Amino acid sequence: MTRGLWTRETVAALTLAALMPLAVFWLWTNGLAGLVNLIFAVIIIGIWHLVFMLVRAQPPSLSALITGLAIAMLAPEELGVFRLALGISFGVVMGELVFGGWGRNVVNPATVALAFLGFGFPAAPWPGFDAPIAWAAIPAAALGATLGIMPLALLLSAAAVAAGALMLGFLPEPVLFAAGIGLVLLVADPVTSAATGLGRVLNGTLYALFVVFFAAGWSGAAAVQITVASALLASLAAPLLDDIAIQLWVSRRRRRHGRT
Amino acid sequence: MRTLRLRAGLNPDFASPPLAAGVSEVVTEEVAVLPPHGAKLHITPLVTEGERVHAGAPVACLRHAPAVCLVAPIGGQVARIDLAPGRILNEIVLFRDTGSDGEDVERHDLSIAQTTAGLRRLLQGAGVWPWIGRRPFGGMPGVDEVPAAILVTASDTRPFAPDPQLVLEGRHEAFARGLEALTRLTDGPVLVSWPDGLPTPRIMRVEDRIAWLATGPRHPQASPGICLHGAFPAALDAPVWDLHAEDVAHLGDFLKTGRLPMTRHVRIAGDALTEARLVRTTAGADVRQLIQGAVAPGPHSVMAGGLLGRRRARWLAPRDRQVTVIPRAEPRARPHWLVGALTASAFPRPIIPTAALTQAFAAALPAVPFLRALGAGDEEAAMRLGLLSLLEEDVALVDYVLGAGGDLQRQLRALLDRIETENAA
Repeated sequence: MTRGLWTRETVAALTLAALMPLAVFWLWTNGLAGLVNLIFAVIIIGIWHLVFMLVRAQPPSLSALITGLAIAMLAPEELGVFRLALGISFGVVMGELVFGGWGRNVVNPATVALAFLGFGFPAAPWPGFDAPIAWAAIPAAALGATLGIMPLALLLSAAAVAAGALMLGFLPEPVLFAAGIGLVLLVADPVTSAATGLGRVLNGTLYALFVVFFAAGWSGAAAVQITVASALLASLAAPLLDDIAIQLWVSRRRRRHGRT
Repeated sequence: MRTLRLRAGLNPDFASPPLAAGVSEVVTEEVAVLPPHGAKLHITPLVTEGERVHAGAPVACLRHAPAVCLVAPIGGQVARIDLAPGRILNEIVLFRDTGSDGEDVERHDLSIAQTTAGLRRLLQGAGVWPWIGRRPFGGMPGVDEVPAAILVTASDTRPFAPDPQLVLEGRHEAFARGLEALTRLTDGPVLVSWPDGLPTPRIMRVEDRIAWLATGPRHPQASPGICLHGAFPAALDAPVWDLHAEDVAHLGDFLKTGRLPMTRHVRIAGDALTEARLVRTTAGADVRQLIQGAVAPGPHSVMAGGLLGRRRARWLAPRDRQVTVIPRAEPRARPHWLVGALTASAFPRPIIPTAALTQAFAAALPAVPFLRALGAGDEEAAMRLGLLSLLEEDVALVDYVLGAGGDLQRQLRALLDRIETENAA
């Protein structure tokens, strides 16, 4: 073996493998309708990847499937083909491809697409999730953390805050289920979440706090809507959290060594 | 003993035949005097082609610092002096003299070593200087440079590296003497990276100047840059030297006898061999003769200085202690343009943060922000995160793990070169 394995496509393939429990349970529950949605989302994303490959020489990535799965699972229902395609295109192009493809993006394209659809078409109903699918998020997170592709610190801190809120009664069950699925699909994305140890802890905590906050104060919001809004805000805050973590690290080294 | 609290690290598993027992002595028929890897030396040759020299005799000195000499590792005849334009040293090749086996070794007058300046002059004249590495920027220390600290590497976690402890066996007295001498070259501490759990030798007089850094078994925990990053970061105004433990023991012997031993232990490993060996040879040895008879049939490529560094070489450079022979992959046919577009790109693929990446840096620094700073060419951020302590060898594992094919090492070198030029002006 002359070179290591951890290229971009390996990580994308492993992330897909880790998400398999979730995807299988969801497909099993939703049947053909879910599969059609998934294939539609993947085709739209694939077309945009192809366009950017031909125009900008940007190699396509397997991450299209991850984005497609997240959008198909969490997108509002009854939108129709055109509006769904518009939302997916906006998310994938503006959230990922214009930055240079997966790995250079600042926000998760699925989060952008879902937020666009949610804010653009507020009348469309959001999907709900039953317990079995939400339970499947746990093996997905465990697989991701074991393989090292999902940040463990983020998952643990989010789970800790959620457990606390659950005990105090601040977190209704549907919101917990949706937030758990959103954590695995949208927030624990290695690229757009915080990249330092402390930053990841803060990122997970912040996401869970947003969820609890919205669940308490956002009347009339659906569980998935709360999840998407929290994921978007948490990922926008990630660079700031990283910066805080790095400043702390640097100042600690300055104190110890007099330089960095 | 200070422990570097590094638990992370990776030991990639490379194929190699089992190591043959014992240490064989090999003095190659041809030996080259080379500049240290990465250094560009303007020299004045002190010998002419065809001249006979004995071991340890100076064959060239630096043009702008004539006190610093490059010496012949063996006695023999100067075969070729190869200089690049500007009298930059490529190599000086020597043929071994079969007549005088280790008889005539240049003997130095130790009386000048009483003073610090005299000790420096002695080491520079005896050819120790090219064995010393420096950070930041790498290369050979300047003639007047006073280091803020010196790191002695007595543990090595690189794959297929010879164990420095094996090399030090029975030479602890010389090692201690060498360490004492090093404390006179710096006002700061002399750091010694030492395998965690092994007893350290007693140093009588300068015990308080020596700091032992306990290092773990995983790469890159004992990599000099990672050790320095944790214990004593190098800076523009605080250069740090590093020296291998075997060279320190040689230094100790030198300060007793006046003769500088030129031998070094080299481990020969790799998948294209029929047996892996530990040999004792000289600096600048001919790599082809070292691996002769041990190579399996078929095309292969020979690298000096380790598998992760991927540097093809004909001769051992002054600081090389590894020879790796791997099968040479056949050049692949050009893929179809569409396949090429799908799989390759003009600019490097982005790095996805994973646990493997953190491990490959031994969790010593924020890996992702550091690599982003490298990729973007952001000097300030990279320096803040510890760039100046690092050289290519410290990020070689990251490069391997990410499958980046040497991109990170090139980015690191480019950034270091730029910072060096800016600060030289």
